[in-house]
Amino acid sequence: MLRPYQMSSVIITGPKNIQEDVIKEIHKQKVLHIVEHSKNELADIGMPLESASRLSEILVKARALIASLNIKKEENKFELKRGLLEVESTAKKLGEEVSANLDELKKAEALMAKDESVKQELEILKNIDIPLEYFTSYKSLAYFTGYFKDEGRIATLKEELSKITEKFMLLDSTAKKRSFIALFIDAKLKENAGDVLRKAGFIPANFVNIVSMKGNASSNLKKIDEEIKRLGKKSEEIKKRLESIGQEYKPFLLAAEEFLSEQLEKAEAPLKFAATQSSFLVKGWIPLEQLQSSIERLNKAGKNKIFVHFEPAKKEDKVPVKLKNPKHAKPFEFFLDLYTMPSYKEIDPTSIMFLTFPLLFGFMLGDFGYGLTTLALFIALKKLMPKARNFFNVLIFASLASIFFGLLFGEFFGFEEIAGFHLPHILSRADDINGLMYLAVGVGILHINLGLLLGFFNEMNSHGILKALFAKGSWFILETGIVLLALSALKIIILPIYIGLLMILLAAVMLFKAEGIRGPIEIPSLFSNTLSYARLMAIGLSSVVLALIINDSAKEFFHKGGFFILAGILILVIGHTINIGLGLLGSFLHSLRLHYVEFFTKFFHGGAEKYRPFGMKDA
Amino acid sequence: MAVELSTGLVALASGVAIGASAIAAAWAEKEIGVAAIGAMAEKEELFGKGLILTVIPETIVIFGLVIA
Repeated sequence: MLRPYQMSSVIITGPKNIQEDVIKEIHKQKVLHIVEHSKNELADIGMPLESASRLSEILVKARALIASLNIKKEENKFELKRGLLEVESTAKKLGEEVSANLDELKKAEALMAKDESVKQELEILKNIDIPLEYFTSYKSLAYFTGYFKDEGRIATLKEELSKITEKFMLLDSTAKKRSFIALFIDAKLKENAGDVLRKAGFIPANFVNIVSMKGNASSNLKKIDEEIKRLGKKSEEIKKRLESIGQEYKPFLLAAEEFLSEQLEKAEAPLKFAATQSSFLVKGWIPLEQLQSSIERLNKAGKNKIFVHFEPAKKEDKVPVKLKNPKHAKPFEFFLDLYTMPSYKEIDPTSIMFLTFPLLFGFMLGDFGYGLTTLALFIALKKLMPKARNFFNVLIFASLASIFFGLLFGEFFGFEEIAGFHLPHILSRADDINGLMYLAVGVGILHINLGLLLGFFNEMNSHGILKALFAKGSWFILETGIVLLALSALKIIILPIYIGLLMILLAAVMLFKAEGIRGPIEIPSLFSNTLSYARLMAIGLSSVVLALIINDSAKEFFHKGGFFILAGILILVIGHTINIGLGLLGSFLHSLRLHYVEFFTKFFHGGAEKYRPFGMKDA
Repeated sequence: MAVELSTGLVALASGVAIGASAIAAAWAEKEIGVAAIGAMAEKEELFGKGLILTVIPETIVIFGLVIA
């Protein structure tokens, strides 16, 4: 609690010929957080093990298969019986089978696309009964194919054309308010005819896909339709085949992927090591608790040919942080994951947030009914989504706080009395707004001072008592000064005004000494931070008022009776659902914000790396 | 219902205080939100910080409310 696990710095060296055994042992132990070596004049980084390139090749193959067979990741208990050899041969065989199928599928789909475009052209031509082979290139004959926007043009067109020549053939058909024409004319008159057509508003259409087809359009259309149907059936078949392959090999592929990535991680581990020609060196961190047993097992695996050096963390070390919290506070580590890890020497605020986060949340969403609803909701959601367990645990604690504050404020879905029974309360949020605000600001003062107190200990740990007094103690002097000033100005206590002023000045000087000009400049933030806690009142109040409005408008409907009762119930359900949603979002975010912005800035620096032991999968 | 002019003015002033501060906060939040999404696109871990930065201007509304 409040402190992370103690870490010990570890350096392991040994000859290269046992490197692989050591890596295997480290991977199995899952306790060593490896610090990556960067190349310097003393030692280069290590070379990956020989197997690495082969492993990554197979891994790429397996991942490609997983992607092309559309396999979703899930829990898998499949066991690979013969390790790498089995994976390699099966992946190869499977890869060939799948890619053959995929090729066939691609071919069928390409053919189908081509047939579709032919079909489109045939659809246009089907009402003009001439053989398709007429549409070819001639020496003495030219032809035009295309559209007119309105049907009436055909007659005038014929007239115009007959002015040029008598030898032409015009075929037309009308569909969907457009006229399609095919005009055959003497090649010498091609340009003249083109002019006439253009003037009439002709839109040319070219047929490129029907070249080399014979017979008329409708009979070809029938053939093409059959062809398309056949290809569609074929591609369906291939897809089904691929799906069944996917189903059959899914457990194998998932297991293979996992196995290979694990093997590859081991094979590439030397990239993080320092290496000379015949030796390797690993630097890292192991939690103190596991240090002894870990070293013993390492020595055994290294056949006593390795040397392990260990020492406690030094002040300037960048220690990876493994948070240590009791089980009930553990879910709240989520908030630090979201923000940043506390540094090794710092106080870990998780356990404090375990208490304060639900308190601030409940203060805002303080309604017995809402609390019960959200509690039930989050318990159900936790069962449904076990992966987001931590998040829902936080919300469950927060809902309990809502229930608690609901009792204090005497609210049940916004009602302050049920069936004539007035709920007892300590403070009514809807009526005593000023009281609520003073309470909120009071909570803020407590919270901020708790932060300053933690900051005091943090400073004392890292820079000594003197720095702590100047940097954080000064804030307490400042606050006392302000209180004295206020009390004496209001003549509640009889004390010269300058005493309060002097204390404020003293605090400003101390802050300047500790943090330079940035110190005194921060003084006004004390007020803005404190006032910021008025949001506890504001968010809470908006939730209460909305609930009251919902209840009042529903009541109107109930009074009317009959069918309106149904509408009233609907208003209650929908209204409160929306209000709970808004309240949850607002209360969660603002409670979080009060912690991150107002609370953490008083003591928290963070920035440490999270402890990630080699071989451990990310949860 | 006869209401004193002064009461009306007080109500009006409160309304303006909350409304104006809410608009200002919304505007600021929009700008920050855009920047935060941009930063997240580069680096996903910044979600937490982005979220917090985005709600910082809410304080403006709170101040508006307190004054009202």
